[in-house]
Amino acid sequence: MAIIEVAHVSKCFHLEPDRPRSLQELVVGKFSRKPHPSGSKLFWALKDVSFQVNAGETLGIIGSNGTGKSTCLKLLARIIEPTQGTIRVDGRVSALLELGAGFHPELTGRENVFLNGSVLGMSRREMAHRFDAIVAFAELEQFIDIPVKFYSSGMYVRLAFATAINVRPDILLVDEVLAVGDQSFQDKCLERINALKQRGVTIILVSHSLDAIRNLSERALWMDEGIVQEDGVSDMVVARYLQYVHDQDEAAALATRDAERAAAPGKVATAQLATATAPAVASETVAIGDATESNGRSKHKPAQNTAGGNGDPHSDPRSDAHEEKPTAQPPAQEQPTVDPDDPMGQYRNRWGSREAEILDVRFLDQKNQERLALTTGERVTVAIRYYAHQRIEQPMFGLAIHRSDGLQINGPNNILAKYDIPYIEGEGEVHYTLDVLPLLEGTYYLTAALYDTAGTHAYDHHALMYRFRVYRGNVEERYGTVYLPARWQHVHPVIVEDART
Amino acid sequence: MTARLQELYRYRELLENLVVRDLKVRYKHSVLGFLWSLVNPLLLMIVFTIVFTFMLPNMTIPKFPVFVLTALLPWNFFNTAVMSATNSIVQNGHLVKKVYFPREILPISTVFSNFANFLLALPVLFLLILLFRVPLTSALLYLPLIMVVQIAFTIGIALILATLNVFYRDTAVIMEVVMQAWFFLTPVFYPADVLPVTKMILGLEVPLRRLTYILNPMASIIASYRSVLYGFTDGSPPTAPGFDFFSRTIVTSLLCLVVGYLVFTRYSHRFGEEV
Repeated sequence: MAIIEVAHVSKCFHLEPDRPRSLQELVVGKFSRKPHPSGSKLFWALKDVSFQVNAGETLGIIGSNGTGKSTCLKLLARIIEPTQGTIRVDGRVSALLELGAGFHPELTGRENVFLNGSVLGMSRREMAHRFDAIVAFAELEQFIDIPVKFYSSGMYVRLAFATAINVRPDILLVDEVLAVGDQSFQDKCLERINALKQRGVTIILVSHSLDAIRNLSERALWMDEGIVQEDGVSDMVVARYLQYVHDQDEAAALATRDAERAAAPGKVATAQLATATAPAVASETVAIGDATESNGRSKHKPAQNTAGGNGDPHSDPRSDAHEEKPTAQPPAQEQPTVDPDDPMGQYRNRWGSREAEILDVRFLDQKNQERLALTTGERVTVAIRYYAHQRIEQPMFGLAIHRSDGLQINGPNNILAKYDIPYIEGEGEVHYTLDVLPLLEGTYYLTAALYDTAGTHAYDHHALMYRFRVYRGNVEERYGTVYLPARWQHVHPVIVEDART
Repeated sequence: MTARLQELYRYRELLENLVVRDLKVRYKHSVLGFLWSLVNPLLLMIVFTIVFTFMLPNMTIPKFPVFVLTALLPWNFFNTAVMSATNSIVQNGHLVKKVYFPREILPISTVFSNFANFLLALPVLFLLILLFRVPLTSALLYLPLIMVVQIAFTIGIALILATLNVFYRDTAVIMEVVMQAWFFLTPVFYPADVLPVTKMILGLEVPLRRLTYILNPMASIIASYRSVLYGFTDGSPPTAPGFDFFSRTIVTSLLCLVVGYLVFTRYSHRFGEEV
């Protein structure tokens, strides 16, 4: 039986920046010659949304910001009304859209509990019945008779949540308010919501925490730009949503990278000259270039000149884009501020004698498509493209993956792996393939390096130069840093005895 | 419509709690508590008494302080209730935007909390009545009915203004001036008998005294209070208000309440996004 029925609901907000907010503006507006802006902006927050919720069902609503999730809840809570369509809701609704909205700072906790209870439609008698449970849940026995203005924000929110969750609604609307209090209180809140669920309360949950949605609700609704993208089993909907976000991130990341490359064509040209043309010209260009470059870069100047002497000119804009990266670094090093998106950026560096160079490093998925955002568990190939200006016997290709706080996760190389590369000369690619990417969700940095066989002489070392993100895929694990493939087994005591006898 | 009224009835405890909240918050930190709400009318009473018995002594009204206070206290109730109700929806915007409840509860609760203040001030009036030896008559039985009529009228006005203020915020500012004018146009510190029965305005004979009562329900309500508590300026004892007169006042007030409620419910569904 559907307890909530939303049928073809649309909600339009008028966005009129110069709507007369006062009588004066209204009168002035009426007399001014300026015609009223007929094209006052309409914003359709919801477009023909329909869904039903059965009694006792838990529905999670997910979606990016500004896609109509909260509008949906507000409509269900009857705070706003639909422009078109109808909404039918049977039963007492308790909306946790904002905790403690009805609290008055001058009143004591006790007084506020009763006041808030009546705001939520409870009688005094019902509240008195639940009062002790509320106070116990909020853990505020000692402070219940002092004005809430003296409460810490944590106490305030705890009391508000305890009140709201104890009113025994038929329908509970929750908008991203689960992230309150410390961990133990949050666990209590989740427990209580689960208990309400067991008792048959219908729950509609808006959250950005996909875990919360997956854990609490069997069904999920993915909203995007005011329409229901998908409605179904929550695991499936969440997976689709993740895929979508992931694809978007991917596209955005590739677009920025391409833009960066396109933005530095001049520098690419000089860099190319430096590595590839006649020594005289090269040294001059490098000298000019060095004025803006880091010390690390200048080390390789002589080597570069020799390289320029016997190497073939190569014209790959990509490699040059990477060469530009260290150039951009020094200013960042001077600033102590850390970009939260790129915490290790200041340690990014490149050195080496450059008889052979690493041109670039790419991450390839199983279809050999280049990716910047990966998912845990998928097959990933790290492709290191190099250019050897001279023949190098038995080179050592190595890489290292670092967590965003700098912790090194691994550091393999082909010599340790007993994979022999007889020699390199000219352009080529070395692949390092992980059949199952074990990294859990997060940002990581990759270091790639090309050394001699003994690992003592650096031809080209790209420290922390490649940043990539990993998203959660089909692997359910999420604590820690890596996913270690393993098996669980329950060994029954009987079996142990059998083994002994 | 009946569904809405039923819902309002279901939320009666919220109404009660909001009134209690208002009173508690108002008096929580002042030592003199509600006595403060007496200061204003008493001070005004003293000022008017001084002005009209010493400075303009040609208008002789017996037991002037009682005469003024019987009108000042109801007026004060009306004034504060209307002013705070006008702001009630906007001021409680945080609630309106986050929780559903019948929105009319907000202006209605401010009317009731101001009514409670009015009741708390009444003992002072009775003290004055005893002091000046105004006889207490059976007309006093009308007092609760008059109060109900005034509450109905006040709620009607409050609902309209609270609605208007959501859409046009300077309603509250304008109302300050309007209430001032209204105060002077209402026979509070002067008896309605001083108004000429008719007056020639622009060549038209205007029945001024009747018009005051017709156009201004507050004038009728205050005249009723005065009639049962004070009596008349010629010294005759308090009597029940005239039946015709009083029933017209009741009808006007109820009409105002109904219109106010209709206006409010017509627009209240938009409060959630407009506040």
